[in-house]
Amino acid sequence: MVPQPTGAPAPDPSGTRPPGRTQARTALPEQLGEREFARWLTARLAEFLGRSADDIDPRTPFAEYGLDSVAALSLYGDIEDEFALYLEPTVAWDHPTVEALARCLADAYAHSGGRPGPAGPAEV
Amino acid sequence: MLTPTEGTGGTGAEEELRIQYRIADLERRFGDPADPDNPLGITALLAADERGELLAEAEDVLTDFQLNAEFVPREWGGRLERVDTMGRVLRAVFRRDASLGLGYGATSFLAAVAVWAAGTREQRRRVAELLLGGGRLAIAYHELAHGNDFVRNEFRATPTADGGFRLDGVKQVINNVVRAEALVLFSRTDEAAGSRSHSVLLVDKDRLPAGRLRYLPRYATVGVRGCQNAGVEFTDCPVAGDALVGELGDGVELALRSFQITRSVVPSMILGGGDTALRTAVSFALNRQLYNRSVLEIPHARATLVGAFIDLLICDCLALAATRAVHLLPAETSVYAAAVKYLLPKLLTETTYDLSVVLGANFYVRGGEYGAFQKHVRDLPMISLGHAGTAACQATIIPQLPRLARAAWFTGPPAPDGLFRIRDPLPPLDPARLELVATADGLACSLAGAADELADDSRDGPGARTGEYGEALVALAGEVEAELRGLQEECAAMPAKDRTVLASPRAYAGADRYALLLAAAACLGVWRNQGTGQDAGGQAGPHAASTDFLASPVWPTVALTRLAKRLGRPLPKLPAGWEEHLLDEVLTRYHEARSYDLYDTPLAG
Repeated sequence: MVPQPTGAPAPDPSGTRPPGRTQARTALPEQLGEREFARWLTARLAEFLGRSADDIDPRTPFAEYGLDSVAALSLYGDIEDEFALYLEPTVAWDHPTVEALARCLADAYAHSGGRPGPAGPAEV
Repeated sequence: MLTPTEGTGGTGAEEELRIQYRIADLERRFGDPADPDNPLGITALLAADERGELLAEAEDVLTDFQLNAEFVPREWGGRLERVDTMGRVLRAVFRRDASLGLGYGATSFLAAVAVWAAGTREQRRRVAELLLGGGRLAIAYHELAHGNDFVRNEFRATPTADGGFRLDGVKQVINNVVRAEALVLFSRTDEAAGSRSHSVLLVDKDRLPAGRLRYLPRYATVGVRGCQNAGVEFTDCPVAGDALVGELGDGVELALRSFQITRSVVPSMILGGGDTALRTAVSFALNRQLYNRSVLEIPHARATLVGAFIDLLICDCLALAATRAVHLLPAETSVYAAAVKYLLPKLLTETTYDLSVVLGANFYVRGGEYGAFQKHVRDLPMISLGHAGTAACQATIIPQLPRLARAAWFTGPPAPDGLFRIRDPLPPLDPARLELVATADGLACSLAGAADELADDSRDGPGARTGEYGEALVALAGEVEAELRGLQEECAAMPAKDRTVLASPRAYAGADRYALLLAAAACLGVWRNQGTGQDAGGQAGPHAASTDFLASPVWPTVALTRLAKRLGRPLPKLPAGWEEHLLDEVLTRYHEARSYDLYDTPLAG
């Protein structure tokens, strides 16, 4: 577990998003740790599954909620758009719960220095 | 960027000639399917189908021809170099009998592809040896209770302390399971829910201890009756650790990668059946007298035959793009393979229904000279559903649409010309390069600006070839481009819920529109690349005529009209004479025995 950097500058959401996005997102908090990623993931999963965020247990595998493999693959794109984290499409397979994926994202975010990855924002 | 067309003209032409020779050889061995005295003709194949058998004499022909070599990469002693070529060669088999195409050959390839993608050298060597020796490989992925939701599969391969596995469970409706020497099994290797709990195993039957494998009764099926679909049950059956293909837990990933190849190529193969359906209807229309005239003189019949021919060309354009994308655009193939596997059987099924109206009551007759038609009608849904159902393909496309809409369409580069060059060589097949998720979409991007390009007739480009069809073709290209823009807006705003099994009917309609747009892009791409003088082997000999036909603006205009109609777009008025032009081609290809696809292949008979 990599400690989170302190005082990492908040990424500029407008700069981390590919143009043409239509869904409004709230500004990212100053620091992104497991808790923030878990909150975002839970909300995202709730949208996917058409159920309330309160019903989603952080330790229950996505698959048990009915999220199939191909839909789970599409999560990586959301992560890339939202946080400019460039991960394998299979990231949600290898970290198949909210808790596990939030930990993975927090690690990756810390490694990226809290900024968009070296490749910059998603190419469009 | 991989553009194999440059500097390879000589080798390309030689390679094309080799392929044409191979197909001609197979056609010659089978002989004229319409000849009732041909022991390998439709009459004999229909009789075998009625008996629920594969025609033994036909299997012998395929063994002598070494059809299995088509499924083994050249480096392992086979003839497999290009996925588009495999589709082309197998059409010669499927146009005679889909049961034979699946039951003798394609099934073994569906199984082998996982080994080519992720197997060890030893596994590849074993599979190559088995297939080249005339053996069979069965693919045991599906379980009836779970359909295409194979992540729920319950067949267990429990890892054991010695590094091996213990097999327990049942697989159903497995083609060739009894007579295959080896099985490729999709098995649960972990109890946890999710996409890392399954693995693929290659199991040689002769290495299993006695009494642990039991066959379940064969299933009687509506179509492909000659195929021997049965079940298999393993009970506490040990296998060694070297059975594992790829890594433990990689089963779903390997399946999704393998499917990109198989979903691309199987639709291409089954176009051979569409050829036979149209050929049978043309034969009927020419020979049958109704109301004191031949059926061919009835306007509705003429329109149907021409429409079916155009649909076959549309299907082939999409099949071409999908199979060549496996080599050229491995980061995009995930959606193209699903799109062709979704759309091609659907178009073929609808076309076949239209043709059945021309045949009238003869459609119901199981024997005789038109009996091939009803067999095709029964076989088509089986070969369409067998490998990946419509819903499974849509479920692969839909979750990818929002990202493609936002990040690819109208912004990415268009597909390279090589995607559309029907006889050009391709870079080597490398399944490892196939991405699980499409990250670009060159085929859709090729629609951007297509209308402007066609309207520009000043240069030595395709716009100069549109002639009196220019206005209609430009209008149609504009319509499909506008449709892609509309779809882009919808998909970019698609609710996350639509990416799951809870997807709304609207999302499914989006996948349908997307597939139709890809087909339109493929038609335009193929036509644009005609007459450029770079098509390897396409400029001389028996193919000069087809090159002229494909270079004319009539077929793409009518193809786009049919696609625009399905998309609900406004249709332009076409110049007079288009139907006669196309009907001439349909009849010429009938009388001269040349195939109803892009390749215009000489056929036996």
